[in-house]
Amino acid sequence: MPATEYQGSFLSRISIRRNQVVSMDGNHEQELEELEIFQKNISERFSDLISDDSSSSSNSASSSEPFLSIAWVRKLLDVFLCCEAEFKAVLIMGRDPSLISKPPLDRLIPELFDRAVKALDICNAVMHGIDSVRQCQKLAEIAAASLEQRPLGEGQARRAKKALAGLLSAMGIDETSGGHKSAERSWSFGRRGGGGGGVSVTKDRGSGQSRASTWGVPKNWSAAKQIQVMSANLVAPRGAEASGLAMPVYIMSIVTVFVMWALIAAIPCQERTGLATHFQVPRQLGWAQSMVWLHEKIGEELKKKEKKGASPVGLLEEIQKMEKLGQSLLEFSDGFQYPVPEEKLDEAAAQVADLTETCRRMEDGLVPLQHQIREVFHRIVRSRTEVLDVLDHAGKSSAPSV
Amino acid sequence: MEKAPPEEPSSFSSKDDSDPSLAGTADPPESPMAETKKEEEDETSTVLEKSIEPEKEETNEAENPPAEDGADGEEKEEEEGEGEGEGRGSDGDDAVHSFGKVIEDIDGVLSFLAAANAEVETATAVLEGHQKRSVQRLLDLVQARALNYIVDSQEAKSVWGQCPDDDSSFLQAVARVSKLNSSLDPSKWGERSGDLINRVGSIHHQAMAFLADEFRSLLEDCKPIITSDEDNADVPPEQEDHPDHQITDKDSDRALRYPHEIVSNLSKIAREMMAGNYETECCQVYVLMRQISIGEQLFMTGFEGISIDDVQKMPWETLQHEITKWVEALKQSARVFFPSEIKLIDGVFEGNSETSAYLFHGLTIGFMVQLINFAEAVAISKRAPEKLFKFLDMYEAMRDMEPVLNGLFGEYDEYEFIKLEMVTARSRLGESTVSIFCDLENSVRSDTGKNVVPGGAIHPLTRYIMNYLELTCEYKETLEQVFRDHLKIERADSNNRSEFQGSGEGYGNYADPSENHSQFSIQIGKIMALLDTNLEAKSKLYRDTALSSIFMMNNGRYILQKVKGSREINELMGDNWRRKKSSDLRHCHKTYQRETWNKVLGCLRDDHGLTVNGKVVKPELKERFKSFNAMFDEIHRTQSLWVVCDEQLQSELRVSISAVVIPAYRSFLGRFSQTFTPGRQTEKYVKYQSEDLETYIDDLFDGKKKP
Repeated sequence: MPATEYQGSFLSRISIRRNQVVSMDGNHEQELEELEIFQKNISERFSDLISDDSSSSSNSASSSEPFLSIAWVRKLLDVFLCCEAEFKAVLIMGRDPSLISKPPLDRLIPELFDRAVKALDICNAVMHGIDSVRQCQKLAEIAAASLEQRPLGEGQARRAKKALAGLLSAMGIDETSGGHKSAERSWSFGRRGGGGGGVSVTKDRGSGQSRASTWGVPKNWSAAKQIQVMSANLVAPRGAEASGLAMPVYIMSIVTVFVMWALIAAIPCQERTGLATHFQVPRQLGWAQSMVWLHEKIGEELKKKEKKGASPVGLLEEIQKMEKLGQSLLEFSDGFQYPVPEEKLDEAAAQVADLTETCRRMEDGLVPLQHQIREVFHRIVRSRTEVLDVLDHAGKSSAPSV
Repeated sequence: MEKAPPEEPSSFSSKDDSDPSLAGTADPPESPMAETKKEEEDETSTVLEKSIEPEKEETNEAENPPAEDGADGEEKEEEEGEGEGEGRGSDGDDAVHSFGKVIEDIDGVLSFLAAANAEVETATAVLEGHQKRSVQRLLDLVQARALNYIVDSQEAKSVWGQCPDDDSSFLQAVARVSKLNSSLDPSKWGERSGDLINRVGSIHHQAMAFLADEFRSLLEDCKPIITSDEDNADVPPEQEDHPDHQITDKDSDRALRYPHEIVSNLSKIAREMMAGNYETECCQVYVLMRQISIGEQLFMTGFEGISIDDVQKMPWETLQHEITKWVEALKQSARVFFPSEIKLIDGVFEGNSETSAYLFHGLTIGFMVQLINFAEAVAISKRAPEKLFKFLDMYEAMRDMEPVLNGLFGEYDEYEFIKLEMVTARSRLGESTVSIFCDLENSVRSDTGKNVVPGGAIHPLTRYIMNYLELTCEYKETLEQVFRDHLKIERADSNNRSEFQGSGEGYGNYADPSENHSQFSIQIGKIMALLDTNLEAKSKLYRDTALSSIFMMNNGRYILQKVKGSREINELMGDNWRRKKSSDLRHCHKTYQRETWNKVLGCLRDDHGLTVNGKVVKPELKERFKSFNAMFDEIHRTQSLWVVCDEQLQSELRVSISAVVIPAYRSFLGRFSQTFTPGRQTEKYVKYQSEDLETYIDDLFDGKKKP
């Protein structure tokens, strides 16, 4: 992967330079240069996320994962991990630790930590969201396998119908009205409707649901709220601060909030109302242009979905596809009468093939995606600890004893 | 049990008249999904009725007629004769069939289909012939029966399980439908049998969906049996030390038990659902329902999901309680809840190890992630010395439960993720623990207050640190492990730790050099050394050198006593340290003696000035007595306010003072007291008798103002 090579050379350059230059004075220019490289890398990474057909840059080397597909989200997380590693290099590698315990960093770093902790909760909520997507995937698989049989009988059609009804209700889509109902709640604990592939909803006596739902994500936790809080105190550094370490801290904060925001948008997550308006990427900054573009595009999708129903299901391409195919195939199964005319069957067969393919992509992609989110989780924790250690060290060495 | 409605059939053959829809094969009961079938079936049944005769011919045509075929006919007649009373006239005798007969017929069809696998033509012919009737009968029975269950169970409890014979006969019938469904490979049998195959598939789904519903309600009712003797009693401490030895024994005791009847019913249904190729649905319902159940059980331990953000903001007192609940939840999960689930899965999905592993994973993974996330959240919370012991509790719980959980998880690949997560979370707790413990250094270093403790008593820092270390040593083994396993990680992670490592060794000389030092003992030594240094500095704050010495003795004595009182620290610090500490104390004692009493003794010395040519210089003698009295008074006044808490030390000090002062005074008194004229002059200068001195010395270091 070119991104990692890039990163490697950047990191080694920083470490070699820092080791060579012992004197702390007079390397402000070098700092500026590092900052510039850092910004340039961020900008390039994010522009890689804009696929060929939608952007003017015709960099054919970047494989174009469909926008908001599982593969794309995984690439986004890769970008995050790279940026994060470089950020840490800029911030602490070989630096005089006392630098980050002085103003303005003594204020900015705790704020960054606070955002990091909230990002951890988002990672967990999204992991949980993927679990419920996996439940739906299982239902879609039942439906697809059922509808693949030939000749297609009523038994298969009904089996598929049941699975699809479960699938759509788990997604928060009321199949009778065709509209969205409270998607958040169903998704947040997707096991409910989604789990009962062979279970009629009327029989659901639902004992113990309320208690069980204290598991997973805490009841009052809201993904949208986290984003709001994370971005509330984000202010671009001005004046002299803009050329110092305050800048990378600011950039990394924007990157973190953006990536978390995109994750929440893509993957079902507890309480996302108002997500579209909770966070804006600053427009005037050169390095953020690609991010601005991506933010707008995702924002548009969110708004489109919000208009259709109360609240959107995940924007993940595969989820969208599953929803659409699910609805269409539910209609097909619902009106199924044996025997079915050949052309209708062919039409359904194409959709079934699509659904099977979507399920396959989910099967291949969701678990690795979960693992990658966990990697992001651990990386955030580790970096926080490392910076804390440096701060600790700075605290000790500035004490009168040494 | 309170219901047993009259219409409930006791067997298939005696379907009650009260449900007219069940009356004939030709007229299957109303069901939303059966409607479209009506016409076809009516047709079929007429065909069936007419085909009784040609049936024999067709069988003859078959190359390989099923052996049962002949018997088939005979039995049929018998059955029909027997069943007359139950039969309902209009549809003819064959309308009502005994259950056994239907099953037998179908088994014939099935074995025939299996044998005729390749001979599609023949088999089709047979299927379309008289066997079709058997199949239809079976399907009717299953459909009718399933609907009967559903009618009865629409709102409240299901009637499943109220009549085990019915249930098992129903399951037998469903098993046949499943077999038919899978033997009638549509691609082989082609268009001709399409309708029949369609109906088989349809009824099959209906039966499966019904079973899934029953499965779900049974799971809802599947609550652990509450035993009279509480088995969630505390674990005996010795077991904590050897988790892996006693697990197997203990677990069988601890595992929750579920009503045998429900488990056996679940198992029967699960078997049919699996056989009917509805494994996915079956597993999904199972996981969903059991997750709710485990959630409830864990809820009872009081542990709830808390966001990582909230953990960071929580006051320590609250978090402490959450940690206690977490430890309980983890232990209960590993020792009770999860093993119980394994037992239940084994009971329900007997012998299917792959499914069992899959289900157990599906059930547990979410809870494991949540438990682990709490550990992660605590591990990154703000570090403080008072948190050490709770962190260690968590660490120990994770360390001890890890092998138990790994045992439960087995070799199933999917668990690799969670196994790694457990190790990571434990490491993180370990690292935080190490850093908290190392931060104790800072507490000692930063305690630089200028206020002195009145009377030279034990400084609160000394008490705090020593009590802390004493408590620490109760976790000695865990802490040594934590230092061994997690200090390394920290060093590898960061380039700034080398200094730390170096300074650790610098203090190591306090401990016995013959011992192999653990990082932990080095750290203890380091803290003890820092404490000494700190106390030294604090002692300098006293203006009176003698009081400084008393302060050092008090604190030194306290430290020594604490060390001696704790086997672990004692071993850690070693003999050399103890010897050095004792000699330091003796030195302090001497310093005190010298600082306080040398001048006093100087008054009692027979040196130049007091006697000239053997003659006592009286003014000098008066002066000597006056000084002595004044000094002794002063010492008594101040030093009875000084504090020596340790009684032994107090008496040692008094004894040693008496031992020097009293004999000197006695002999001085003996030699010079007669110089004064008895009476007024003696009274004026000889204020104390030597016995009085002893009494006054006993007042010293009492910390109390004498009236």
